[in-house]
Formats: sequence, C-alpha cells, structure tokens
Amino acid sequence: MKARQNGRGSNDAPHVCEGEGLSGRFLAKLVLLNVRASETRYGMTVVAARSSEWMRPVTSQEPASAIIEIDRVSQVFQTSARKDHLALSDISLTIEEGAFVSILGPSGCGKSTLLYIVGGFVSPTSGMAKIKGHAITGPGPDRGPVFQEFALFPWKTVLGNVMYGPRQQGVRTAEAEAQSRALIEMVGLKGYENFYPKELSGGMKQRVALARTLAYHPEVLLMDEPFGALDAHTRTRLQNDLLTIWERDRKTVLFVTHSVDEAVFLSDKVVMMSKSPGRIRQVIDIDLPRPRRRNELLLDPRYQKYVVDIERMFDESDEAGPVS
Amino acid sequence: MMTPAALIKRAAPVLACIGLLAVWQVASVALKNDSFPTVIEAVRAIPDILGDKESLLNILASLRRMAIGFGVAVLVSIPLGLLMGRSRGVAAFFNPLLMVIYPVPKAALMPIIMLWLGVGDVTKTLVIFLGVSLPVIYHSFEGAKAVEEKMLWSGAAMGLSPAQRLVRIVLPAALPEILTGCRTGLVLALITMITSEMIARQSGAGNILFNALDMGQYDTVFAMIIIVGAMGIFLDALFERARARLVRWSEPQFDMPLSFS
Repeated sequence: MKARQNGRGSNDAPHVCEGEGLSGRFLAKLVLLNVRASETRYGMTVVAARSSEWMRPVTSQEPASAIIEIDRVSQVFQTSARKDHLALSDISLTIEEGAFVSILGPSGCGKSTLLYIVGGFVSPTSGMAKIKGHAITGPGPDRGPVFQEFALFPWKTVLGNVMYGPRQQGVRTAEAEAQSRALIEMVGLKGYENFYPKELSGGMKQRVALARTLAYHPEVLLMDEPFGALDAHTRTRLQNDLLTIWERDRKTVLFVTHSVDEAVFLSDKVVMMSKSPGRIRQVIDIDLPRPRRRNELLLDPRYQKYVVDIERMFDESDEAGPVS
Repeated sequence: MMTPAALIKRAAPVLACIGLLAVWQVASVALKNDSFPTVIEAVRAIPDILGDKESLLNILASLRRMAIGFGVAVLVSIPLGLLMGRSRGVAAFFNPLLMVIYPVPKAALMPIIMLWLGVGDVTKTLVIFLGVSLPVIYHSFEGAKAVEEKMLWSGAAMGLSPAQRLVRIVLPAALPEILTGCRTGLVLALITMITSEMIARQSGAGNILFNALDMGQYDTVFAMIIIVGAMGIFLDALFERARARLVRWSEPQFDMPLSFS
C-alpha cells in the first residue's frame, strides 16, 4: 500500500490508497475521548457521552422489538408519457431494532423508493411507514441516510462535513469537533480532516459520508446502494469496515443493494424484491455466525448456499417474465 | 525565481494590452484621421481629465450609482433566483416575466423611466439595477436548480428546515454559478452606467465622453474610453480575486486564466 500523506495541498489525493481498516486500539481511544470530554464538562463525574451509544457492547441489547413498520405501502409515479407506473405495490415489512436488513432486487424494483419512504424523503401514495410506532411524515435525525452519490457538502472540508450534523443538533463546537475527529479516524481518514471532497477518491468520500451520518447518532442507518459507485477492491474494504463498525454498535441498518454477495455477507435478513410492480418476493433470514470475516465466510458452504439459492430464485423469476 | 514560461504566463495580460495599444497606434498613424487620435495623444489627455476636480467628481458620481445599482440588484436577485430554482410555483410566475424583460435593451427603457423619475440619480441607478439583475437572477436560478436533491435530503435528515436548507445548502452549493452571474452583472453595470449617462446627460463619466465628442475633442473621447476600460479591468480583477477565494473548494485544478487576477 502506498504511504498515506499527511496534511493537505497535494492534489494527487485521489490516488492514495484507501484508508486502513479499523482497530480496537482506536475505538478504545474514542471511549477515552468521550470520557475526557464529559469530565471537562461535568467536573469529575464520568458521564457516558451520547456518541458512545453506537459502540455499546452487544450483550446490553434488549430483546429485539420492531423499530420500523412498513404497512401496505404503495407508490405510483407518473412516467414522462403521463402514464401511471406502480413502483411499489402493497409492501408490508417489519424491521427489528438492531437488525441489519438488506433490500435486494433488480434495478427498477422500487427498493430505493422504499428506503426514501422510510427516510421521509418521499411520501407513499398509500399506506404508511412508522418508526417506533410514530407515523413517518418527513426526514428526521433519527434516520440517517448514506447515498450512493455521497451527497457531501463540497464547500465544507471533511471535518466540516462530519461536524455539520452535531452542530445542527446544538452540540458545542469543541465537543462536536472532538467527536468528529474521532469518527474520521474510525473510518480510516485521519490526516484528511482539512481536505475538500473534490480532493478525495470515491471510497474516501463514502467513508466521509458514513462518518457524517454516524456523527448525529441516528437510530437507523438508511444506506442506498452506498458502495454501488465504487470499484470492487474499495467496495470490499468498505463492506468489511462497515461490518466491523456495525458489529460493535448494532445500530439498525436498512441497506439497499443489487449485489447478492453483499446482501448475504452483511445482513441478518435479506428482503428479495421483484420488479414491475415492486413487490416483496421473499424474506430470507441469513443464519451465519458473527462476527463475520470475509475470508472465512467465502469458504463457508452455508454462505455459498445462500448466495446460490438467492441467485437461482432471481433467475427463475427472470425466465418467468414480469408478472402483470 | 520564475521560469521563463511562468514569466510569460504572468505577463500575458499586460502583453495583450500593449499589443492592442500598438495596433491602435499603427492604425491611427496610418489613417491620419482627425477623429482617430494616436495612443500617445489620448494618453496625454488622461491627466487633464483626472486632474480636473469637476471631471473627477463626475466619475465618482458614476461609480457611486454603479455601486448602488449593482449592490441592490445582487441583494434582490440572488434570493429571487434561488427561490425560483427551488420552487416550481415561483419559477412558473417569474420566468415568463423575465423572458419578456431579458431581450429588451435596458437603455431603451430610459426615456420612459426619465419621464417618470426625472433625469437624476434614481433613473440611472434603476437602469443599472435592471441591467445587472437579469444575469444574476438567471445564474442563481440555474445554480439552485442544479443542487443535488440528495444533498438537501442529507440536510433535512440533520434537521434543517426548508428555509435553513435554502440559505445553508442551496446558497453555498450554487455560489460558483451565482458568482459567474455577478461577474457578468458587473460588466453590464459598467456598460449601462455609461449608456444611461449618454441618454440622460447631466453628470458622470459618460457625460464627459459624449460632451467631448460633441465638441470634437477626440483625444478626450479616447482618453475616457481608456479610463472606462481601465476601470472595467480593475473592478473585474478585484471581483475575480474575491470570487476565487470564496469558491476555492470548487475550482478545478487547471482552470483557464481569467483577466488580470
């Protein structure tokens, strides 16, 4: 791996290799940092800062309960020919707290639309989505999106992007900066704090986007084909790192993808969708041990069976043609 | 220590000016026409204009009108353009209006505005305002329209209200495009400033120019043209400096050089 550069100013940043993976040593540091921040604030009492919530040990998990309920959601779009197109048809789905759920399907099956409805960015034509029992009427900081297009603020540096959410939530500058620097280190971008997005590679941008979303502690991560625009190598690295972060934190994740491997590798549950109209075909529980390590999993016959079975199911539906 | 190549690049705008003046000098010597003084004659008339208190006051009055017209236009046009770019209703209302006004030369409206508001500062400033507004509105509109939806969604998820999104996401994201409009607006401000003074002759740089023309003082006419040109170059370079600083985050690494900045 090429040596990482420190400081900014060089424009060949995009050629720098992807950041290193995560380390336990680093996470320990993050805890320390939070404790320190709270000490200065509240004297000697050590108060668990909110940012440590996402790395709470798995053992403290309460029994799974529904966090997101999607109830008979349909979405109709008008096509350019002024025809109604049924993008989602009567979708019902319950997502349990702390679960990693992938929505898998061919392009045009409405899987991203479903994610946008949960995000509150799009209102369904009929039906409703709920978070913790409350109807979703718009976007909110309890649901943090990560988009394929990164959608970083290009006029802000890496640090400025990550700090944006906490600052908006009213966290004091010094505290927001300390937490953001820690998150930037966690996603492997230490040394890039003062870079602008245009100076980063695609993989690095997506790391920033993930850190930016984690920074305001959403309860649910909504990931819309987050690694779809990345090359295979970078994609694998980011999948591994996402899993490492998630396995410590167990935040609920709704993950949209069209890659079967990706869905099986990451998820507890894979929701298979079919196209025109977008419907749930099948929900498959992925019963593979965690923590998952890529090199072990790829050799695991159970993993291989899941991938092959899911691919076969998609092939069958392709041959059958669209249901009309 | 600069390499010869860097030195040439640095001096290129100055060389371009010297080249233009040289062509003028050769042409005027060759044509031997009374109404086409040489560069030397024109340049010699410059200190007479700038040394004269009344001329100087005239030029300053012009610049003041231009600054007010430009400033007010920018303050009104940017919010309007941004709203148009983000709201279908606002765009549907203003776009047809602007399409009617855009092709009309603003100086052509002057006689009517003069009837209403007289030949004073208000009329001229209003014409400058009109001249500057349209490109700034147009570019703000285009800039706001092009802002990535997902960037706004990311802001909404962080808890930004629609108004906050307009100010804190759409405005900065559209800034490079807005400033392109402002740069065009600045040049148009200078043009409308002179033309407004050509029509409503009372004071100003344009007044000096056209009075000299009436009296056949061609060296003064050309001296004024040089002064106005120099003002344009100076203001543009100043603006370009500010612009480059504001949108450093969006500049491509190898941008084409602009003017004298």
